[in-house]
Amino acid sequence: MIITRAPLRVSFVGGGTDLPDFYRRYPGRVISTAIDKFVYLVINRTPLIPKVSARYSVSETVDHPKNLQHTRIRAALLDLGIEKGLEIGSFASLPAKTGLGSSSSFSVALMKGLHAYRGKKIDKKEAAEAACRLEIELVKEPIGKQDQYAAAFGGFNIFQFNSDGTVDIEPILLDYKKQTLLEDHMLIFFTGISRTASSVLTEQKSRIDEHFETYKKMADSVFDFKEKLIKGDIKGMAEILHQGWLHKKSLASNVSNNLIDSLYEAGLKTGAWGGKILGAGGGGCIMFLSPIDKKPAIRLAVNEIAKANNLSDFCEIPVKLVQSGCDIIFNGDI
Amino acid sequence: MEDFIKDFSIKVEAVLKKLPIKEIAKALNILKAVYERDGRIYIFGNGGSLALATHWVSDFNKTVFSHHLDKHSRRFQAIRVPTTEEELTAWANDVGYDMVFAGPLKNYLQDSDVVIAISDSGNSPNVIKAVELAKSYHVPVIGLSGSDGGKLNQLADVKILVPTEKDEYELAESIHNIILHLMTKYFKDYFDHLVERQNKV
Repeated sequence: MIITRAPLRVSFVGGGTDLPDFYRRYPGRVISTAIDKFVYLVINRTPLIPKVSARYSVSETVDHPKNLQHTRIRAALLDLGIEKGLEIGSFASLPAKTGLGSSSSFSVALMKGLHAYRGKKIDKKEAAEAACRLEIELVKEPIGKQDQYAAAFGGFNIFQFNSDGTVDIEPILLDYKKQTLLEDHMLIFFTGISRTASSVLTEQKSRIDEHFETYKKMADSVFDFKEKLIKGDIKGMAEILHQGWLHKKSLASNVSNNLIDSLYEAGLKTGAWGGKILGAGGGGCIMFLSPIDKKPAIRLAVNEIAKANNLSDFCEIPVKLVQSGCDIIFNGDI
Repeated sequence: MEDFIKDFSIKVEAVLKKLPIKEIAKALNILKAVYERDGRIYIFGNGGSLALATHWVSDFNKTVFSHHLDKHSRRFQAIRVPTTEEELTAWANDVGYDMVFAGPLKNYLQDSDVVIAISDSGNSPNVIKAVELAKSYHVPVIGLSGSDGGKLNQLADVKILVPTEKDEYELAESIHNIILHLMTKYFKDYFDHLVERQNKV
């Protein structure tokens, strides 16, 4: 048995600039951090059972991977030529589609695990690339590359997406004081509205030309954000997030909606310095940076709105920053 | 006599000013990551470097948590390789001195671990053998070297090269000790901070 895990991520600035229609013409950049919520992947050899099983929210057992319903596991097994004799199960600390990049964390953990299953150890970059290839080329998701890299590498990083398809990784070397300072000022709520990134990104992608200058500003603002982060200027970071959120809302009609807007406004009104929706938009999580003493008022205000709108899954997600990326945490194969 | 002492301190000061700060920061990140995934840290070197390794293990496993020994359910798992003199001499006598670290390390090494290799020249064959083993597992290698860093500095993922003249191993080893103590101090402060923060809530 092999167990791998990969962290989810919180992306601060530059989301969307990791789409090829943009980075082929101008360097895309994203600044993000891995968080203490993980996707775990278990791969078990079943040499005496000539089947393939996939266990996630449903359980499938088939004679050949081509018959699997789970698109990513199916595509990965077919691509690697793995035909039978294994079970794959996934476990996660949070539900899917929360805007924290979990589907790419799943893909990175899957690719790292399947390569180990075949006796090949792959490094962080190879794991990120394998997951990008799986999701973008094989499954044809209209998504970017930031989440796969964030999950594979872990820690706080700036990722730069170059026109030739390569990705540069710049780790932000933050000491524990800055890390805990940020954690103490951060508030994340799951809106209770799930959506797939692809549903939002399809419209966004088709309108990149129209908004090219906005994307450029977003890609360039990672440097400003990094500077404020290194200084521990949380208020300054929040202002950049707020600007970024306004930019992002202008990119596609479905990035925000009245409900998300009212949650965000309630946060600002009760004292948050700024914030954004995490993930592609349309739902997922909402994040605020705020003074520590304003947190109770913000919690109260957003919970009231959630209640009034029957968002039964609305909840706060406490988050810590982590350094670990995708790891093989157990390898029982001999 | 006083001149000799002054000259030595001046050299120490000069080298301290040239510490590879970013690389040391990267090493701290790697150690935090190994803690998060509950992996192990293997450390080794020859002669005085082996003494540094043993000293560091004791500090890192215990001193880091000494203010709140009962507050942390998880602690670091730093291990000096080889763990016994018997293993060291057995590998040296039966197989070869170049296998005294790689041999025992292979018994333990898993994907979730980290390796810290110390070699002033960066070229000790037994250190390099163990580093190559770690690299083949994609286990991160933190290399502490002196002089021009040698092979160790080329192979290591984190290149902590203390730039000294060739054969100035006293300097390199002294500074290595400072860097290792810095790592201990950083995590001691970090875990103290976490406990204080918890107490405030």
